[in-house]
Amino acid sequence: MQDLLQPILNGILLGGLYAVIALGMNTMFGIVKLVNLAHGDLMILSSYLSLVFIAWLGLNPFWSLLAVAPVMFVVGFLIQGFLLNRVLGKEMEPPLLVAFGLSIILQNSLLLVFTPDARSLMTDLSVKTIPLGSSLNLPVLYFVDFLLGCAVILALHLFFKRTYLGRAIRASSDDEVGARLMGINTRNIYAYAMGIAMMTAAVAGVLVGMTFTFYPHTGPQYLIIAFGVMIIGGLGSMAGCLVGGIILAEAQLLGAHFTGPGYQLLCGYLVLLIVLGLRPQGIFGKA
Amino acid sequence: MPKRPALKVSELDAHYKDFQALWNISFEVNKREMVSIIGANGSGKSTLLNSIAGLLVPSRGTIEFFGERIDGLLPHETVPRGITLVPEGRRVFPRLSVYENLVMGSYTPKMRAKKDEMLAKIYELFPLLKARRRQMANTLSGGEQQMLAIGRAMMSEPQLILCDEISLGLAPVVIKDIYKRLRQINQDGITIVLVEQDIKRSLKVANRAYIMLEGKVVLEGEPSSLTEEQVKKAYFGIRPA
Amino acid sequence: MADRPFKYRWWLLGILFVVLGTIPLWGSDYMLLFGLLLCLYMAMSQMWNLLVGYSGLLSLGQQAFIGFSGYTVAVLTNYYGVYVWLSVLIGGLFSVLLALFMSLFIFRMKGIFFGIGTWIFAEILLLWFSNWEYVKYGTGLFIKPAPPPSMIMIFYAAFIMALGSLAVVYLILRSKIGLGLMAMRDNEEVSETIGVEIFRSKLFCFLVAAFITGTTAGVLYVFQIFIQPYKAFAIDWTVILVFIVIIGGIGTIEGPIVGSFLYVLLTQWLADYGHTSMLILGLIAITIMLVAPKGIMGTLQEKTGFTILSPRRI
Repeated sequence: MQDLLQPILNGILLGGLYAVIALGMNTMFGIVKLVNLAHGDLMILSSYLSLVFIAWLGLNPFWSLLAVAPVMFVVGFLIQGFLLNRVLGKEMEPPLLVAFGLSIILQNSLLLVFTPDARSLMTDLSVKTIPLGSSLNLPVLYFVDFLLGCAVILALHLFFKRTYLGRAIRASSDDEVGARLMGINTRNIYAYAMGIAMMTAAVAGVLVGMTFTFYPHTGPQYLIIAFGVMIIGGLGSMAGCLVGGIILAEAQLLGAHFTGPGYQLLCGYLVLLIVLGLRPQGIFGKA
Repeated sequence: MPKRPALKVSELDAHYKDFQALWNISFEVNKREMVSIIGANGSGKSTLLNSIAGLLVPSRGTIEFFGERIDGLLPHETVPRGITLVPEGRRVFPRLSVYENLVMGSYTPKMRAKKDEMLAKIYELFPLLKARRRQMANTLSGGEQQMLAIGRAMMSEPQLILCDEISLGLAPVVIKDIYKRLRQINQDGITIVLVEQDIKRSLKVANRAYIMLEGKVVLEGEPSSLTEEQVKKAYFGIRPA
Repeated sequence: MADRPFKYRWWLLGILFVVLGTIPLWGSDYMLLFGLLLCLYMAMSQMWNLLVGYSGLLSLGQQAFIGFSGYTVAVLTNYYGVYVWLSVLIGGLFSVLLALFMSLFIFRMKGIFFGIGTWIFAEILLLWFSNWEYVKYGTGLFIKPAPPPSMIMIFYAAFIMALGSLAVVYLILRSKIGLGLMAMRDNEEVSETIGVEIFRSKLFCFLVAAFITGTTAGVLYVFQIFIQPYKAFAIDWTVILVFIVIIGGIGTIEGPIVGSFLYVLLTQWLADYGHTSMLILGLIAITIMLVAPKGIMGTLQEKTGFTILSPRRI
């Protein structure tokens, strides 16, 4: 029992990171009812952007966020405004192909520019741990991921609750026609929402880049994690993101604890399949 | 000298893809009037309001608002000019609170500054909304939601309110109450165009009425000058033998 | 209305398949390769179209069947010396079993979540096969057909799959099952009243698609001789199918044919450019979606009422 404590703790912390990864995609799904299949690749784009800013300005990864976040906002705004808004409609196939197309373009552009080498956002936090009691260690980086993740979720929640733009976004997702009748330009709103979603992806990308190594093709891996979080936690639910993230991370880490480190991803997928089979709407989702 | 009418629709045609929903519609609404547009389902009443509000672009004809052309403008352009639509089915935002719904009504930047002032007025007009201001809109009854929809439409200080079937699905007692307040709003100086299926009620409250059938205006006049016979015939499309 | 031009369309398709089928007689080795790839993609994309365009089953995990069947062929020929074409057939059958198993979990899901379910299954298979000693982990396995078939034999196997897939789709759509599916495609809520029928029809299509995709993959791997989990179970397969079917025109029978042709042409033409070629493919995909969201055949149909095989004419 004692030796379960570490994976459980790690799972909670990692869950926070998983939650931020999923946050942007989950939010956009709640708003435009579309899943952005290029979300993982856009997140990895942030990781690479951070790499660039770190090299160019000699910053540490946290500071690079100040540059990466606005860039990603613009990226998201443009993608939604000029691409995704145009294929929003009844049919689901055009958005699907556009997202896949985007994914291909991103992965291959990153491959061409940055080569297939493994990358990482260096920080001395990576190896630091704080001992808690005799058998438990707090991995500092995971802890930072968790704190930042929760901070982003909280910030987003407040944004949606308190600001005019946030409320307009909620209104547009509740009833698009009603929102337009208020004088809200819903197409613009979607673009702003995507910009914000991309800012959360920027945070996720930088955190992921600091915590794990990344390659141009690691996007889809995180897309699946985001899906897992969304499915377990419930679509469009922010609280669900955190809970779903923690459950998925726990499934992975506890599973790996019992079956071996090579099976970490597998355990996560299996739990995901089980949830899909038993309660597809997730914990906070409506049946 | 005749003043500019608040709303002037001339020779309006509107299509949904290949289907023509409005045929050569012309009508006028003067400032401070309450005008009823009556017709059965499918007669084109909602299409007409949607065209005025900007949800639909007419294929022919013009719409003038105090002399300014507004046909083809989108809702986010007509709302700042002083036109709001209370849509069919109310369309309140279910997961926003009553307060948040109302506040959405003053979304346009000009109106945001006046938000609190307008909120006070609406709370006065609909005390019920004030009582329920923190509740989620989807927990309100039909009548309450209708009041919310109307209140929301008033938040942008419109000069013209278009009401699309506000009595649909409501109990007669509730409808009476809502119409009372609508009359009050009209008396305060706001021009209202009322679209209804309920002939009696909308004739009682209107200065003038238009009857529509299959996308055309088939009868118009002051309620006092229209006989029940005439109205029924026009409504149902019974042509004289 | 379009029954007269309907006849001409049969001729067009007939000519296409005759030309394709006689490549070994008149074509160069390169043409044979081109034709082979074309047939393989035609078969698999026709199945994806059946799933997504007609049955409302958004499968993002066809690679599960591709890899599973490929590995079946590899294991059977490599370890047990089973006759190559029998192995391919067994690969197809195993794919059906896999599909049946998958359906237990994912058939309650709709839309993109069904898709994610299929994708997750494929990822699980990827991980499983990469970690499995029996199939030599991630290093991959050889397909060792004895006797090794000639290129022409492989080509005809692929050709049969292409022809067969088209025939199967056509027959299904013209059958009672097809009628039900198309009613459902037009209005899912209304067809929910026909409940069980629709479920069975969807399952049937899912299994058929698994079989044909699996068998086609078997032929592919007989050609490629070598299979590795990271490539066999990769999401890349889905991306290719999505590209082919949607660019070609989803929900049309000619769409996958046109799309496959375009895809093989583009990839061969751009082969020298490496990653840039994929980039260009992505750009083409996005551009076409902005300009002609119904794909090539879809847009053509819309504008001219032109169809080669229209299942709508019952």
